[in-house]
Amino acid sequence: MRFFTRKTAELKSWLGAMTHRRKLEAEMEAELALHLESRTEDLMRSGLAPAEAARQARVELGPALKHKEEMRASLGLRWFDEFGADLRYAARMLRKSPGFTLTAALSLALAIGANTAIFSVAKEILYDRLGVAEPRQLRLLGWTSKGKPPVGSWWSAFNANSVGMTSECISYPVFRELAARSRQVIDLFAFKDFTQNGTVRGNPQRLDLELVTGNYYGVLGVRPQVGRTIQPSDDGAPGTGAVAVISYGLWQREFGGSPTVLGQTIQVERATLTIVGVNPRSFSGAAAVDQSPDIFAPLSMQPLVAPMGGKEPSLLSVTDNWWLEVMGRAKPGVSAEALRASLDVALASAVRGLLTVTADETIPQIVVVDGSRGLHQEYFLKAPLAVLQAMVGLVLLLSCVNVANLMLARGAQRQREMSVRLALGAARNRLLRLLLTESLLLAALGGAGGLALGYIGRNGLPALLAGTMGRQSIDIRFDWAAFAFVALLTILAGLAFGLAPAWSAARSEVSSSLKESAQTATRRRKGLSGKMLVGFQVALSTLLVVAAGLFARTLIGLNSIDPGFKTDHLLLVDLALPNRDESDGERLAMQHRIDEAIAAVPGVRSGAAMSTPYLAGMMTTYSMVTEAESADPSKANSERGVMAGDRFFETLGIPIMAGRGFGPQDTATSLKVGVINQALARERFPNENPIGKRFTLGAPGKDTQWIQVIGVCGDTSYQSLRETPPPQFFLLYAQRPQPYSTYAIRTQVKPEAITPALRKAMLKVDPAIALLNVRTQRQQIAETMSMEFVLAWLTAGFGFLALALACIGIYGLMAYSVARRTNEIGIRLALGAQRAQVRGMILRESTWITAAGLIAGVAGALALMRLVKSMLYGITPYDPVTLTGAVLLLLGVALVASWVPARRAASVQPMEALRHE
Amino acid sequence: MTPPKQDKTNDVLQGTLDLLILKAVSLGPLHGYGVLLRIQQISGEELVIQQGSLYPALYRLEHQGAIASEWGESENNRRAKYYRLTKAGRARLNEETEKWRRMAGIINVILRATPEEM
Repeated sequence: MRFFTRKTAELKSWLGAMTHRRKLEAEMEAELALHLESRTEDLMRSGLAPAEAARQARVELGPALKHKEEMRASLGLRWFDEFGADLRYAARMLRKSPGFTLTAALSLALAIGANTAIFSVAKEILYDRLGVAEPRQLRLLGWTSKGKPPVGSWWSAFNANSVGMTSECISYPVFRELAARSRQVIDLFAFKDFTQNGTVRGNPQRLDLELVTGNYYGVLGVRPQVGRTIQPSDDGAPGTGAVAVISYGLWQREFGGSPTVLGQTIQVERATLTIVGVNPRSFSGAAAVDQSPDIFAPLSMQPLVAPMGGKEPSLLSVTDNWWLEVMGRAKPGVSAEALRASLDVALASAVRGLLTVTADETIPQIVVVDGSRGLHQEYFLKAPLAVLQAMVGLVLLLSCVNVANLMLARGAQRQREMSVRLALGAARNRLLRLLLTESLLLAALGGAGGLALGYIGRNGLPALLAGTMGRQSIDIRFDWAAFAFVALLTILAGLAFGLAPAWSAARSEVSSSLKESAQTATRRRKGLSGKMLVGFQVALSTLLVVAAGLFARTLIGLNSIDPGFKTDHLLLVDLALPNRDESDGERLAMQHRIDEAIAAVPGVRSGAAMSTPYLAGMMTTYSMVTEAESADPSKANSERGVMAGDRFFETLGIPIMAGRGFGPQDTATSLKVGVINQALARERFPNENPIGKRFTLGAPGKDTQWIQVIGVCGDTSYQSLRETPPPQFFLLYAQRPQPYSTYAIRTQVKPEAITPALRKAMLKVDPAIALLNVRTQRQQIAETMSMEFVLAWLTAGFGFLALALACIGIYGLMAYSVARRTNEIGIRLALGAQRAQVRGMILRESTWITAAGLIAGVAGALALMRLVKSMLYGITPYDPVTLTGAVLLLLGVALVASWVPARRAASVQPMEALRHE
Repeated sequence: MTPPKQDKTNDVLQGTLDLLILKAVSLGPLHGYGVLLRIQQISGEELVIQQGSLYPALYRLEHQGAIASEWGESENNRRAKYYRLTKAGRARLNEETEKWRRMAGIINVILRATPEEM
């Protein structure tokens, strides 16, 4: 207790002294002055002359400067004062050598900035959690099925396979059963995101919508910013509950954050929703951490706000189309295994009760994963981000080694200064502190630059990756965590590159370095550690260059794949057709008008609608069965299908290998026809001519409309260049009740050039047609390969930086070595050595250092690069071309870097060199 | 080049300077020079305190909260910093006094020892 009061008193006194420093100094001055005056008076009273009394008083008191220093020390100010002095001295030293400071601070800033940018992205994408109460308790449900599930079709919002799920979606009736049966162990809620046409304050726009069950807000524990949230009573019979809670973003954007928003209405498709509340800013819905849907409405509104095409707009009573996302908050104390087991039982009985399970179908099994990040778990980004984090970590290490090397060289120059300081009585730990202050100041410069670079660059990576993530823009938050990260990196970096040089400088011997011959006496030790650092730099650079080579070769490999169709002069447009109650005939007539209008646009060679754009990471599969297989329904297999316009094959440039493509003779009323590719022909019609054969989609029955194969086309890539061209079939839009989604247009001119004319043409057909996401096929491909692109370019950038740093390191070391050995070289030349021999000697030395670094680097690369195996294409992690290339490149860089010092060595004049010392 | 050796004769005093200061100010608030005078006066001019070490000690004691200071008028109408004992300081004075007495007693016993007692 007494210890505590004393410490509190000390802290208070220290803070007081710190904050009122000027007053303190004046008071000390005044106190000592009073003492001198009083003493002088007393001495005069005892009979001394005034001058003698004053002198005597001063002698008795002793040096005032020293006393004041001790008084400050009593207040605990000494440490701070010394730090301030060190800092001022360090700043002066850094200002004195601007070249060194700039090089070091810049390379640190680049490295810290890159680390910060990657860190803030990784933090947000991989580690941030939903803005709800206790997000760690949330679970995301999904299912897996070993056999054929008793489900007609299912959706999935993310790459569920990566977490061992077939899909995370179930149907609404199954969800209700599942929730009711598992109430003891988990509170389940469900939601689904849609993007629909709507009108807010008179502005027609696309709105992101999250339809939620009535208990959604209750289970998540989210309170509204304004108004109320959606309640269980809102989520009643289908078509009722026309209320909406809007996002904080929409509230600010469209309503200026005004509380009068409550009671206003929003038009979404066929429904008018009344706004009852606004979400808090921190809540972004259950689907994603970083982006919020605009509107939250009860699930009961689905038939009106997100109607399905066709005759039945409602999804709520459908049991075999699984589309709804299910999450829940686990009850406390329920183990993961118990939770999964009881959900499994609940799902099995729900499926048995609601669906017919045939003998060849198996009941799906529940998979429970962490739901704290919602649906967008970005599992596929984990590995690339880990690679990038490792790479920037290496860059930072490299940059620290580089600065350490520069500091060592400076330390050698300043050895005399240190010896003089030691000789004058400086304590070694004070010297160590001084030198560390210098490196920390340097690190702080780099850290400040890095913070700025990281802040600017934080959105760069997500912007490049937006296509891969399937989301448009992501605003990476730059918060205290990023700031703390920078601070930590800065201090670590400062210690990393500062400690060794400071230690070696503070340890220097007083006597030896003050002697004239000191330089030769200490050379060996310094030379060795410098060489080791440069060797380490070479090794790190080798790692980075090898990684850059592997990713570059992957990108090149993917770019050189022939996708089976012509990607140049091809424009892709997403069409959003108005959602009207119209007959198939009316829709076909409109789509025909669209075909004609696009064909008439100047510069267009041909165009065709296609249901799924190629190489966009998208896939549509249909259960397909051939006539020959129809006796055995288990032979049905899902295959990739494309709905296409009649000029599809000529538009994409896919060759017809046998039979014919679609033509004007194929109409809505004529025989249903289809084209298959060679892979499908091989797989489903082995050893026979498929032309004239028939197949159908879904289970064949009595009134099955068979589709006749009229042609076989060449194989094309489908969703990604990485997969081998899969089996596919093509059906005609004219023969299917399905609205256009994507349009492919082959142009004679630059594809982008026709966009304005295209918009005008569509406006003429129907002003309600929206042209979304106009892009060329090449842009589309680039977007899906953005991960490969980013990895290749970033690692190439890091590799280049590494080479530059290695180059500086080798040059610095060799130049220093030549300068030191001028004397020796002069003697060699005087004794008859050839200049080429001297040059060779220097080059050999640098090559040895490089070779040692290369061996370590290549060994490291062989050990580490297998970790990136899954990210490569067409090459192994031990790609000999890349390894050889990296070795040759670094040897070349070493040769170039040491060429100038070697030439300088060879041009030494023996007489001058010998006179030199 | 080591710093000049301190005069060893006052070393005993150095250790007890804090105690003497606490005692001096316990008798009434004093400014720095007053502390010096009072200690010398009480000791019958026997003790000579190094004037330079007085102020760091005063600052140290104030820093630790054993004494507090405020500015006032000195006897010859000059602004002076007066030190007074705090509650914590009084506790410390009692404790240190006790310690000193025990120590002095022990040392006395040792010094009085004769060969016969061994």
